Amino acid sequence: MTMNFLLGSLLLAVLFAPLGAAAIVLLAGRAGPAAARRTAILASATHVLLTVSLFVLYAGFVHHETMLSFQFQPKIVPGDPGTATNSDVFTYGTNWILMSLAPDGVSAPAVQFFVGLDGLNILLLGLTSLMFFFAVLVGWGTIHERPASFYAWLFALQSAVGGAFASFDIVLFYIFFELTLVPSYFLIGQWGTGGARRDAARKFVLYTLFGSLFTLVGIIGVVLTNPIPIHPTTNKPFYFEPTARGMASSSREMAENAYFNGKPGAVTFSIPILMKNVSMWDSMAHHSVQHAEQRLAKATPGQRAAAEKELAAARDSQSQRRSLQFWIFLALMAGFAVKIPIVPFHTWLPAAYGEAPLAVTMVFSAILAKLGTFGIVRIVIPLTPEMCVLYGLPWFGTLGAIGVIYAALCAYAQRDLKLLAAYSSVSHLGFLTIGLFALNREGISGSVLHMVNHGLTAGALFVLLAFLARRYRTLDANQYGGLWAKYPRYAFYSIVIALASVGLPGLCNFVSEMLMLAGLFDPRNIAIAGYGLAVVAAIGVLLASWYTFTMLRRVFFGPVHEPPAATDGVPPTGDVHPRELIPIAALAALCVGLGLFPQPLLDVISPEARRLAGIVDRARIRLDPNALPVYETETVFVPAPNAPRVDGGIRPVTANTAPPK
Amino acid sequence: MSSAVLAILILALLLGATLLTPILARVGLRRFAHLPAILAFGASAVLALNILADVYANGPAGPTPGLSLDLASTYPFIDLNLKDQPTTWFQAGRLKVTFSLAIDPLSAILLATVTFVATWIALFSAGYMHGEDGYARYFTIMALFVLCMCLLVLADNFFLLLAGWEGVGLCSYLLVGYYYAKPSAAAAARKAFLVTRLGDVGFVLGIFLLWSAGGYHTDLSAIFEHLAKNPASHGTLTAACLLLFCGAVGKSAQLPLYVWLPDAMEGPTPVSALIHAATMVTAGVYLLARCSPIFVQVPYVQAYVCVTGGLTALLAAFIALTQTDLKRVLAYSTVSQLGFMFMALGTAGAITPSIAVAAAIFHLFTHAFFKALLFLGSGSVMHAMGGVIDMRKFAGLRKLLPVTHATFLVGCAALAGLPLLSGFWSKDQILDSLHHAGEHALHYRFVFIFVFGVALLTAGMTAFYTFRAYFLTFWGTERVPEEAGHHAHESPRVMLVPLVVLAIGALFAGLAVEQLTKHGFSKFLAKTPAIQQANRSYEAAHVVRAQSSPHFNWSVAGMGTAAAFLGLAGAFALFRKGELADLPAGMKPVHALSLNKVYVDEIYQGLVVKPVEFAATGSRQFDGVLDSLARLISYIPRLFAALLRPLQNGLVQFYALGMVLGLTVFALFVVFKVSR
Repeated sequence: MTMNFLLGSLLLAVLFAPLGAAAIVLLAGRAGPAAARRTAILASATHVLLTVSLFVLYAGFVHHETMLSFQFQPKIVPGDPGTATNSDVFTYGTNWILMSLAPDGVSAPAVQFFVGLDGLNILLLGLTSLMFFFAVLVGWGTIHERPASFYAWLFALQSAVGGAFASFDIVLFYIFFELTLVPSYFLIGQWGTGGARRDAARKFVLYTLFGSLFTLVGIIGVVLTNPIPIHPTTNKPFYFEPTARGMASSSREMAENAYFNGKPGAVTFSIPILMKNVSMWDSMAHHSVQHAEQRLAKATPGQRAAAEKELAAARDSQSQRRSLQFWIFLALMAGFAVKIPIVPFHTWLPAAYGEAPLAVTMVFSAILAKLGTFGIVRIVIPLTPEMCVLYGLPWFGTLGAIGVIYAALCAYAQRDLKLLAAYSSVSHLGFLTIGLFALNREGISGSVLHMVNHGLTAGALFVLLAFLARRYRTLDANQYGGLWAKYPRYAFYSIVIALASVGLPGLCNFVSEMLMLAGLFDPRNIAIAGYGLAVVAAIGVLLASWYTFTMLRRVFFGPVHEPPAATDGVPPTGDVHPRELIPIAALAALCVGLGLFPQPLLDVISPEARRLAGIVDRARIRLDPNALPVYETETVFVPAPNAPRVDGGIRPVTANTAPPK
Repeated sequence: MSSAVLAILILALLLGATLLTPILARVGLRRFAHLPAILAFGASAVLALNILADVYANGPAGPTPGLSLDLASTYPFIDLNLKDQPTTWFQAGRLKVTFSLAIDPLSAILLATVTFVATWIALFSAGYMHGEDGYARYFTIMALFVLCMCLLVLADNFFLLLAGWEGVGLCSYLLVGYYYAKPSAAAAARKAFLVTRLGDVGFVLGIFLLWSAGGYHTDLSAIFEHLAKNPASHGTLTAACLLLFCGAVGKSAQLPLYVWLPDAMEGPTPVSALIHAATMVTAGVYLLARCSPIFVQVPYVQAYVCVTGGLTALLAAFIALTQTDLKRVLAYSTVSQLGFMFMALGTAGAITPSIAVAAAIFHLFTHAFFKALLFLGSGSVMHAMGGVIDMRKFAGLRKLLPVTHATFLVGCAALAGLPLLSGFWSKDQILDSLHHAGEHALHYRFVFIFVFGVALLTAGMTAFYTFRAYFLTFWGTERVPEEAGHHAHESPRVMLVPLVVLAIGALFAGLAVEQLTKHGFSKFLAKTPAIQQANRSYEAAHVVRAQSSPHFNWSVAGMGTAAAFLGLAGAFALFRKGELADLPAGMKPVHALSLNKVYVDEIYQGLVVKPVEFAATGSRQFDGVLDSLARLISYIPRLFAALLRPLQNGLVQFYALGMVLGLTVFALFVVFKVSR
């Protein structure tokens, strides 16, 4: 029994406890809806406690990561080979094989059950646990039919989302990513509030499936084009990963010694290893062009023709790789763009959000939208870094910017409060997308933090709407007015959440929005995309206050004006009920707390942000050798410690052990 | 105690008051809800005076002590340590935001002014708001308001400043919308928040531009230091200054974003006093004063600032000429007086920055007294008149409200700039700065001469509309509206004491701190590091040929005084009967233009609000189009299916035919391919 083993088991429990809870709730449901509801609340509250303990244990690792490698280093991996030797050392890999591509299964490429925690997903897992707990509470009083199966599906969804966040195997990620569709379909189609719920559910599933099939193609493309590089003479895998600063300063001879045109080895599905492979193949293509250029420069007239031919060939193969990468980038982005959604791929969203029950809408905007943005940081940026530099901001940043403005305008014109919240979510996510593609530490830290903050504020908006939905028949803003006088406490919390959502300082969104804006002011990004995106993002914040405060004015100010009550003849009950207070007050408190003390979360994110920014810096140098890295204090990047059998028996060797000529 | 600790103590006191007030209300001590705020403000004022003394004796304070907060692996999982460096708020990559405070003459003076005036306003409020429904809510937000303003004034970090900046915006939103059931209050609150936020878009972008140009520092002092060593390009500086000014224009209600301030009258009257005198609107003036090291480097922007101030002052004064709502007159006069401050700020760089900035801050200082006094006085009138504030409905209140009358008269005289009152000295310094800039500036001299003319004209108009309001309210035969009932009476003592105290300030503050101390105020302010730096960069760019120490200019003072007396005489001639005078026919259109606020609100409604709303509706419609487009694409597979479906018709012969045809084509293909 090592610490490693215990932690791994805890992670597995956090991931799959909801499935067990689903079964228990179904059983309890036989005793009646009340029993199901109680069980569900108990189960999800327990899950929050489990996650909190995982959080606390993870906190111990945060400041110990001073030496970073260019690949993700998932901690707390179940099946970590380090466990076997009782050594309590993280090897950042796993032994657990799901499906091997060859019968002997030892050295062959295999899909692994590779889950773990790092700075990118730990916060999102915490958010997931918390928001599903609140979703269960929101379901109380808004879900009347078959609550047991509703909660069971909700828990199934939780497991799928958690699995996607925790996966470090690209196929495993995709499986969990797609598995989320099944519970979502039933949750919208069966418990939806509107008449067109089945239509909305079908549209949602087909649309996202359509997008994510492209992602599958992209994933296959990534796996096939980035096998483990094999050294031409030693026939062993080899890697050479200097920092961007090192790349810029090291002489070309050194690079010549370090890079060979490797042979493709076995394919791998492990995201950390794929990251290394991508970087290695990109570098080899880059350096073969450089070598050819050098040789051409040194060539005597006699050798000139051959050297020119060599250069042409090297350039050709590099541009081929790049064009392939371009399509892979687009294919990968397709699924994520639909999931987030980025305008104009958002048209499934009004229907799905409008028809789904509030608890589900809340989970969708708080958690499921993050699957898309998470996919970008986990898959797209590390696996197609060059394309992210070339097309990230110009294409998807622009789409994000259009989305910020467009969705904000749509939100203003909405009279249905639920759709207003939905469009506001799209607008914020547009900003998040821009921030992600800033591709530097500020932008990535800010975006990952914003995933959490947006989860809290957007989720909180729907929790607030649940308050109204329990009391009144409609969420049409025109039928409300002057609620401040009637529900002062509700008004107070609503204003706090609204302020957090428009990014007022001292509340959570401010911090992440400022970081994302800072990311856009990186001179390298300015060179690519100019100041336009930053200006649009800032205007988006203004528009957010415009529609939010217009809504506040309409609903809370002025003389009292109420729609018909939800239950006939019974006037709505009083101000915030204790049961309603838990999610509302907890979210408001988190908004304030994370606004005032965001640094612990940023410390958690920091290693991954530095790592991703480091990878992108390398890509920037490959694209433009003059693009010097901007950070004064360079992170110490080291090759990952030897990771035995992480990729099915192939031991990665670093080029620091100088490859023989 | 060092002044940094004192400053933190002030912030803590105010935060404590903010948190304590709602608790008091919760435990049934609602009638004492005013105590935390008043006590905290009072204590803060005392502490602020201590800071002032400390800064005067020992110079600016060093780095702010703070806490470090780290995640740890052992219980309690968080490390808290006291240290000498400021606390980090958040940091990622190159963006590091700390709780660092700048304690120097500029911030100390503002801190003392804010807390002192706020104390009396809070005391007045205790009487004025007595028995109101949201008594505790009012004082909670008041405390938060002053807290945010103090944070704004003390911050050395741009993002901390921004936090205070947005914080005062929020509090003004909540206080203007205090009577939430009143639709006009709700509209005014939203307008105030959104219009100032419009300016904040520019402010935030300007901060980031300075951040990236200023060596990725977020502390103002560090940025200025970096820029002094590594000058940024002229274009960057111009853009950054214009963007910062954009924020200042929104907060300090200058053209074109001044429209929110007059509407902000919808809140309780003491709130107006707070917004107009001590907090909120002075933020923009303070920002430009603090950023003077970079503003002095871009003469183009400075000329723009000056002209903006001049035009705003003139326009607001013009509108104030005909308003019949007493509070509205005062509101437009605030806009106009802020314009004066910006005129002075705009001359920094054309003349010695320390003199220009001192003129603006000195006017801010004196203005805080007499404007708070005037608003509280109008509140006292409103209190007596049963909530009526339309000057057409009452007159001749001299006898009825003797204390209010006397103090209001002092306020009016100070605002009009009658000699020896505080407003006179500060307005004179501004006029002198403009006059000086018009004579000696290297660039845009004609602009300063023009603005000087505008300022003189505006000074005359100020005296006219101020005394118009005074005569209409207090002179003539006594007339009281029905709402006041039969027992209209002078306000209780708790409201009169603040009036008297502020009146004393309005009478003597200017004389005492500047004239009797041989320009002590200006000289003390000039010791602010930022202003010193502005002075250095001014001296580097100019052959200093102009007089560079504060002085009193008799001819300019004479012109200003003449303008003030002309305005006063005009008001006396027209309104001494306490009634609106008939206008000659030729003046009617001008009168209507002024009365309808030059139709600016309507113009904005038509040019900005409506188009954006139209765009919003359009977007919503377009979203439907997008959706049908997606649906159309989803029909394509079905379309294919529809095309292919007839093939599967169940007729064996048809299938056979298909097979034969297919085979034939295949055979032909093979034959021809092979034979070639």
